[in-house]
Amino acid sequence: MALVAPPSNDRKRVKVYELKNNDWFDRGTGFCRGVIAQEGAKILVASEDDPNRQLLETRISKDDGYQKQQDTLIVWTEQNGTDMALSFQEPEGCASIWDFVNEMQSRLQRLAHDDGLSDDIDSAASPIMLPNPDLGNLHEIENHMRAANSTPGGREALAKFVLAHEYIPKLIPLVEMAEDLESASDLHRLCSIMKMLILLNDTAIIEYVVTDDVVLGVVGALEYDPDFPLHKANHRQYLSDESKFKEVVKIEDTATKKKIHFTYRLQYLKDVVLARILDDPTFSVLNSLIFFHQVDIVQHLQANGPFLRELFGIFTGPEETSERRKDAVLFIQQCTQIAKSLQAQSRAQMYQNFISNGLLDVIQYAIKLADVSIRLAGMDVLQALIDHDALMVRSYVFKAIQDGSKPLTDTLIELFLIEVDLGVKAQMADAIKVLLDPNANSASMEALGRTNSDFLAKVRGQHPPMPQTDSFVQKFYDDSARKLFQPLKDLEGRESFNDMSVQEATLYAYLVDVLCFFIKQHSFRSKYFILSEGLAARVAQLMQCPIKYLKLTALKYFRAVIGLHDETHNRQLIMHQVFEPIMKVLFDTMPRDNLLNSVCLEMFEFIKRENIKILVQYLVETHREKFQGITYVDTFQNLILRYDQMHEPVTTQELDQSFTSVDSDTPGRPLSMVNGGKWGQGLKELDADEEAYFNGSDDEDDLAPAAKINGASPVKPLVNYPDDDVDDDEMDILASAPSDSTHSTSSSAQTQGSPNTPKSSDETPPERISEKRRREDDEEDELLASISSSGPKRRASLSSNSSVGSLKSLRRKTPTIASTKENAGPKKMSLSLPLKSGGEGGNTE
Amino acid sequence: MSIGGSDLDRAITQLRACKPIPENQVRELCYKARELLIEEGNVVGVDAPVTICGDIHGQFHDLMELFRVGGDVPDTNYLFMGDFVDRGFYSLESFLLLLCLKVRYPDRITLIRGNHESRQITTVYGFYDECLRKYGSVNVWRYCCEVFDFLALGALVTGAATSLTPTDGPIAESIQSMDIPDADCDIEIETLNAQGEIMYRYARNSDSQSSAASQANSNAASSSPIAPTPSNTGPAGTGATSSANGSSKSETGAVLCVHGGLSPLIDTIDKIRLLDRKQEVPHEGAMCDLLWSDPDEIDGWGLSPRGAGFLFGADIVKCFNHKNDLSLIARAHQLVMEGFKEMFESTIVTVWSAPNYCYRCGNVAAILELGEDGSNAGFVRRGNGERGGGGRGWVLGSNDGPNANGMSNENRRLSSVLGDSMGRPRDGPGRRYRVFEAAPQDSRGMPAKKPVADYFL
Repeated sequence: MALVAPPSNDRKRVKVYELKNNDWFDRGTGFCRGVIAQEGAKILVASEDDPNRQLLETRISKDDGYQKQQDTLIVWTEQNGTDMALSFQEPEGCASIWDFVNEMQSRLQRLAHDDGLSDDIDSAASPIMLPNPDLGNLHEIENHMRAANSTPGGREALAKFVLAHEYIPKLIPLVEMAEDLESASDLHRLCSIMKMLILLNDTAIIEYVVTDDVVLGVVGALEYDPDFPLHKANHRQYLSDESKFKEVVKIEDTATKKKIHFTYRLQYLKDVVLARILDDPTFSVLNSLIFFHQVDIVQHLQANGPFLRELFGIFTGPEETSERRKDAVLFIQQCTQIAKSLQAQSRAQMYQNFISNGLLDVIQYAIKLADVSIRLAGMDVLQALIDHDALMVRSYVFKAIQDGSKPLTDTLIELFLIEVDLGVKAQMADAIKVLLDPNANSASMEALGRTNSDFLAKVRGQHPPMPQTDSFVQKFYDDSARKLFQPLKDLEGRESFNDMSVQEATLYAYLVDVLCFFIKQHSFRSKYFILSEGLAARVAQLMQCPIKYLKLTALKYFRAVIGLHDETHNRQLIMHQVFEPIMKVLFDTMPRDNLLNSVCLEMFEFIKRENIKILVQYLVETHREKFQGITYVDTFQNLILRYDQMHEPVTTQELDQSFTSVDSDTPGRPLSMVNGGKWGQGLKELDADEEAYFNGSDDEDDLAPAAKINGASPVKPLVNYPDDDVDDDEMDILASAPSDSTHSTSSSAQTQGSPNTPKSSDETPPERISEKRRREDDEEDELLASISSSGPKRRASLSSNSSVGSLKSLRRKTPTIASTKENAGPKKMSLSLPLKSGGEGGNTE
Repeated sequence: MSIGGSDLDRAITQLRACKPIPENQVRELCYKARELLIEEGNVVGVDAPVTICGDIHGQFHDLMELFRVGGDVPDTNYLFMGDFVDRGFYSLESFLLLLCLKVRYPDRITLIRGNHESRQITTVYGFYDECLRKYGSVNVWRYCCEVFDFLALGALVTGAATSLTPTDGPIAESIQSMDIPDADCDIEIETLNAQGEIMYRYARNSDSQSSAASQANSNAASSSPIAPTPSNTGPAGTGATSSANGSSKSETGAVLCVHGGLSPLIDTIDKIRLLDRKQEVPHEGAMCDLLWSDPDEIDGWGLSPRGAGFLFGADIVKCFNHKNDLSLIARAHQLVMEGFKEMFESTIVTVWSAPNYCYRCGNVAAILELGEDGSNAGFVRRGNGERGGGGRGWVLGSNDGPNANGMSNENRRLSSVLGDSMGRPRDGPGRRYRVFEAAPQDSRGMPAKKPVADYFL
């Protein structure tokens, strides 16, 4: 055996350290070189002061754990147990010695192997040297391995040894021998040894154990887990069953085919054989091996033209069996699942190739099949495709519409309505949502299914929709939406819900859920659609259904609607008397503490907190008595307080109404406490005020009103609200808001014969300033709190912020407003027309 | 199609053998469970006696061991504090079994939601994968997630006795029997091993009492799950018992059970009631905190290293307990090697019921038994999903509603229970911990995931 020349003997400057009493002791500085002498390779360090003095002379042993740390440090343990370290001045010097050490070690190992030295003659020098295994020395081998296993160096050396000596094939025959002898202890030892070898976490070993030659032997050994002495697994039987591999289209490339098997075995190792004992590093090594194999496999297949043609040809060839087609669908499904972890570019390439070969037809084929598992697989593929690029799928749908052929969405809708498998149905509902989500692309459908869709809707709302999507959505509402929601519409006139089947209930639940999504995503289109189809009333009907789940879904729909802060919607709720069934649910569940009840409470709490005046007004007027009876939470008392606050102070009413879209008071103000009970009185004041207002005295114009008004206020304390001087800006909101909407306010107030309309009186507004100011403060807080909701109320306050800034201006402005009644204000400002404006108010929209 | 009486019993039998039930039965079961859970409040009222359990994490065989140690349903009234799924290899069987038992014996088992009962978490930590493997599709996962959304967020145990009726079990060999206080003492804490042998016993408020197992005298104190006390003269973990000079049967406050802990947004239990819980666990807010927070040795609130929920200190717990008239908060969510750990002078306890967590953590598990206060009369718990008119529950302040009878005078708002005693801390309920180890290996096959059946790639 020829020895190669020693590495360059350039002298490397180095410090030698020895670990003594847990301290690194400096043995001096010198020059280091590696030499090959008669008795083996050595590292020598000669002192720089006295070149004849050797600071270090150490023989490189086969299996000692040498470690390189950082760039300039080599650490190892001497055979006598002393820990040593060399600290190099230059990284290059360190690297060259390190290379030398490695080279020598591997040569020694080869040497040992060639010479059959593996028998333990040199165990002192290389503690990891293992004897040739037989049933007699397993115990010894296990102990050796355990010892080596305890240090990183030992593990590395052990791994090297095992591979270099092809140790695993030597172990394998022992399993059957031990089985023949029924020697449980030997089998358990073999299992422990095998476990230890795999958990060395050496990629090469792990890749090796799943190769065809050894895999069965390896898992055979692992069948006898000493932790389960009475138990034997049947891994060999499982893995040798070749029928588990299904080759839909023959894979010609043998390397790829091998990888497929390896991958499967690795997964089996990870999930079954080692599942209980896997430590995190080995787990991640297994995972990354599996991942890289899969990438290779998919890359190979998707670029393989003939393969793809044959695969997709299965769906067009007339002589193909449906069995083969099903398998092909499952095959494609597996490809798309794996593709999820591919890099975006390779994934795009794969889908491109698949689609050009007819992927979309395959999906349409699969989701129509009678076999549920194939429908599921088909939906899975579609889902993956949409996840990958919803825009692309949408563009195909769009193209189909323009070509006059039936778009995928229509197929989905038809199938969704008749689908009986609830899982497929759920997936279809999700797919419809995402395809019609104007902003969906970044956020995937998968995420939609798995996370809180409300949250996502919020995130997405920030991106502007694509123009194409817009017309797409329009198209949907023109044609398809009617089909989709027809079952809801058909509820009209349905008397009894007692006979509703699970299937039906689920359909309605999904429909309402989809509708809920649409009102959040397609603001005006869905609004128009819901109005024209009268869907709100239909959803409300569902609350009669004895199935509580459905009640809940309906409730959540209305909660979402109210959350939009949209006047038209709110008026619809009132017009269709949606709150009747909601109140019924509330009262039905009321003494008890349950989910439905909590959802009701949350809804009323929201109306109160956001002070949605049109609803507060309606609710308190229609249900005051009932509300007064509900004392177990204070939500309803506070709703009444809100209402009373809106009405008591005579003139505030006016401003409140013109200003309605903005929140007002906090609950429980002293003022309302004072007047809370005097309902009739409040009404009168209010009426008087309104009349006074519309009589339009110009006096107000030049009044410096604060003092006077405050003086008249029956609730003086509030005037001294501490923030009085700080919030002029906020007063602006008040100042300008009326100008926007007085028109509608005043006219409807005058014309409508609601029970609360004006009677008479000329009183000056008693406490409006303080009232307003107070209100403004609260509102500011709430605005901040609800910053994410971009309802009309924000627009109102923002738009007004630019205008003037003082009490005076406020007062001055009012009359101007009165005189410019003819200007129709921005729609949003007409939000809370007094009282029962119902459908009529909608005209201003 | 319907999974009624006998079908349900059959499903239970099958699941007890750790065999999954067919998909259509799962669907039916989940449907039933949903209609049942929808009747429960966000905070479920539970009457003592009850056995409180922590995380299970799909360790089916250990769940069986738990039932062996704690008694079977319906003989024992159970409360599970969430995290039924993920990590272990039998999440599906464990959760479905618990759900079956819930549907079969709604009044004998209470399930509340843990942070792992969520779509997002289960996709990462195993339950999603497991369903996919075991059924070939994720339908079952979807059904189960739907049920998760209906699980209650907490439970309130009322009517627990302040002292335990001593077990007549033998005393564990390692314990010198002299150290065990007499059975006629007022026993506050007792710890039993899986064989029912007494490991420790603490009497309440008696200076002469010495804790068992020479706990307080030896170095064992540091590893004790009972909060160590400065000296061995007082009972461990009962710093707040000065008021117990009166009747030993004085009524204890309620026990709040949640998976994680408290939320800065929730100062009274009634506030929990105003949440709409039917949703995926959000990333922030009160609902999230209840499922994610942890107690910690800090003052006030702190950021949680988990990225969701908060850390909260002793002051927060004491204040919350006082305000809500609680004597104890029981929670899970954190691995404790001893199975349970009392903190902050026994105002909060962590209960962990997954022994040898992840099949390799080497911990023991525990369940907490609260006894029944014989003098329970007079306390009427908040109605919890009772059918038919709901005669019990919160007072309606008005003359309408079905509660307008004499009963309602005895009802009261949870937040104002026993206003006269608000000035002093409550005695904790008597607590019996049963500690157990992982099910013997031989009793089951090797735990493993189900392999992929067929493969194309």
